Amino acid sequence: MALRDQLRIMVVDDMSTSRGLITQALDSMGIRNVVTAADGPSALKTLEKSPVHLVISDFNMPGMNGLQLLHALRSGAKTARVGFLLITGRADREIIDTGRKLGMNNFVKKPFEAAGLRSAIEAIVGRL
Amino acid sequence: MADPMEEIRASFFIECEELLEAMQDGLQMLEDGAADGETINVVFRAVHSIKGGAGAFGLDALVAFAHTFETALDGVRSGRIDVDGDRLKLFFRCGDLLADHVRATRDGETLETAAHEQVVEALEALGGDLEEEEIGDFQPMAMSLDLPGLGSDGDLPDLGSLGGLPDLDFGMDFGEGGATASGAWLIRFAPKDELYSTGNEPLYLLRALADLGEVEVTADTDRVPDLDALDPAAACISWTILLTADTDEATIREVFDFVDGLCELSIKTAADDAQSNADALGEADLPLLDLPVAEVEPEHDAPAAPTPEPEPVAVPESVAVPVAVALAPPSTATRPALTAAPSAASDRKPTAPHATVRVDLERIDRLVNLVGELVINQAMLSQSVREAGVPQTSPASSRLDEFLQLTRDIQECVMMIRAQPVKSLFQRMGRIVREAAAAVGKDVRLHTDGEATEIDKTVVELLAEPLMHMIRNAVDHGLEKTEARIAAGKSPEGLVTLSAGHRSGRVVIEIGDDGAGINRARVLKKAIEKKLIPADAQLTESEIDNLLFMPGFSTAAEVTSISGRGVGMDVVRTAIVSLGGRISITSREGAGTTFSISLPLTLAVLDGMVVRVEEETLVIPLAAIVETLTLNSTDVRTLGPETQVVRVRDAFLPLLDLGTELGYRTPRGDYSGAIVLLITQEDNSRTALVVDAIEDQRQVVIKGLHDSYGHVPGVAAATILGDGQIALILDPIDLIANASGRSRISTRAELALAG
Repeated sequence: MALRDQLRIMVVDDMSTSRGLITQALDSMGIRNVVTAADGPSALKTLEKSPVHLVISDFNMPGMNGLQLLHALRSGAKTARVGFLLITGRADREIIDTGRKLGMNNFVKKPFEAAGLRSAIEAIVGRL
Repeated sequence: MADPMEEIRASFFIECEELLEAMQDGLQMLEDGAADGETINVVFRAVHSIKGGAGAFGLDALVAFAHTFETALDGVRSGRIDVDGDRLKLFFRCGDLLADHVRATRDGETLETAAHEQVVEALEALGGDLEEEEIGDFQPMAMSLDLPGLGSDGDLPDLGSLGGLPDLDFGMDFGEGGATASGAWLIRFAPKDELYSTGNEPLYLLRALADLGEVEVTADTDRVPDLDALDPAAACISWTILLTADTDEATIREVFDFVDGLCELSIKTAADDAQSNADALGEADLPLLDLPVAEVEPEHDAPAAPTPEPEPVAVPESVAVPVAVALAPPSTATRPALTAAPSAASDRKPTAPHATVRVDLERIDRLVNLVGELVINQAMLSQSVREAGVPQTSPASSRLDEFLQLTRDIQECVMMIRAQPVKSLFQRMGRIVREAAAAVGKDVRLHTDGEATEIDKTVVELLAEPLMHMIRNAVDHGLEKTEARIAAGKSPEGLVTLSAGHRSGRVVIEIGDDGAGINRARVLKKAIEKKLIPADAQLTESEIDNLLFMPGFSTAAEVTSISGRGVGMDVVRTAIVSLGGRISITSREGAGTTFSISLPLTLAVLDGMVVRVEEETLVIPLAAIVETLTLNSTDVRTLGPETQVVRVRDAFLPLLDLGTELGYRTPRGDYSGAIVLLITQEDNSRTALVVDAIEDQRQVVIKGLHDSYGHVPGVAAATILGDGQIALILDPIDLIANASGRSRISTRAELALAG
């Protein structure tokens, strides 16, 4: 069984289109074990009960942005070790530096191709 | 199945509409001074999200425009740019153009770019173009024990514990999970060909599993060949089911009792399964990620929580395997069908999301229809019980009262499903105001109120056109020119108000302006010039105002680019009346004019007058009737062999015998003592309709006849009355129009005969 068959991923994005696109890209890589959440708080709630290996989150979301979600994840006992991949429309230094400090594993700039997402994921978890 | 990307693309455009609405809301709040710190973020995020989605689909032009807009908004957000009235106007304009852009892209149309270039220039002058800093030095952090940069950082104390965690195991002990009966089960189910040939249906088995607890089903379609090579009788799909239930293996096996030997089945606890997988996987394949348990968390009764969206059940392209199609309709496979959509209703906070479900309108209509049947049935039951002489105090009667109440509640709820807030409609009017104001060079602000007021979806759609016309009128004719306003001591900025609210069971929409009011002297003069009224007519103020609704009336002294399109208020009025509505005007010299539209809450029920003609029961919409009276012998005058008129106060109105019009009887010679209904038409002309008796005034459920009979002249629909009788709902306006048509033809025929 390859890694992609075991890897469980959560996609967090307020836009259902983006969730669909990311899920679709993951599907094309053979990653089918994907859950989604429309915002940070519901992501945290789901992760409490059902952990994943990797969270792929949008940066710009209402209420709780991607980095705030990352912070909350790293602060929770059960979620502290989860992998975190940020998807952001603007990769400015402030966002990336804050992400680095908070323990962001990697980031992808929008718009992305499935191949770019794949290599960003592989840089975190290894060959799929 | 449709291309998944196509589906996502389609849902993107739907989502864009929601984002555009949120953006409009935010801008409106900024204009109204109702904004808080989050408002500009909401606007920014909406534009940003549209850009992001557009980027994913390679819609470069849309991305470029959204980017320029986003940059300016970012400037506002970060405090680099102050928002003043002019800039807000620019943002509104950008929002309109962005909406155009989105829709043109969706429909594959090309867009006028001239307006865009102008706005883009203005935006760029405002926001500049942010050069994005390329981040080249970020080192991806592989998941391992030693997470660099963490734990050592003094100013992030709450993350300090991170470095101390032993392994990437989510703090779980899967050994415990294997020991308990409750928890997660991993079931692999691979039907053999015989399973299908003996008439078994895997879907039922999967459903039976779902009855035991929460299931996560994944279909393995790897063995599904291309369509050409597909053997329709072969079993190509197998399933992996993650069952979370407090159950034991025997119970799960029971589900598969009937297909014993017809499938390959393996049932394990998920913990065991994950263990064996992890063992099989070996370290070489997984250098950085130790995966002891993927889906289980034994401490909880319900791990693997239900996901907010459909699981990615893979669906084969082929439809030749019926079971897979039945299991996963296209929408569940790839499209996030049920999502939390931005709030479209009541509150003014554009951020508050609430869950919505998209439902086929046809299903709702079926429900509306069924509830209509229920209402009729209920009325019939009540009538039977009354006729049976059951005393009011009996338990049967009081139960029936409760039933009546419940039926009404259900009807109301069902109507509410079809109801839509007028907000989207009002937002469209915002744009009309901006464009009309720009076209005539006036400074106009739109104030809206009661946007959450709900009204039937069809009414909302059909209201757009008349409303647009009235808004243009208000800007063009209602409001004075800026100089005139200043001279009158008013604010140079004209105000158009659009409000909606409920009033005595109807929805009232008002379109007002704070202009000069109707110039009645000019209206009167024009009406006389156009021979709409006699030169010596004595009219009250309200009668003069109502002249605006007469066909062919137009007061605009100068024909401008936005009105004067040959559409008058009479057309507006016709549209409103066809929706079962009424329209009225109030105007105060120097203070402005308000048009008030009153509409029924729904098109599914109607206030009607039940009348009797020659043993036939008929329903006439109450909205069309202005007056009822009983004729005496001096009221009726005969003008010809078949033409009679009725004298009502100072006017002569044509007399129409409903029985004759519907072919029930030949005209009577003498109508004294007859009951007539005065029917008013759009042009305010009235007709007297003779009926035999007025029976009742009540709400009736409209049953359309159009699908079965097409358009029947004079008949709008049908209804079922309390006693089970079917009654036609008449369209008196149509009836009258056809009646006069017939009489003309007959006159010509007579002339031809005479000639």
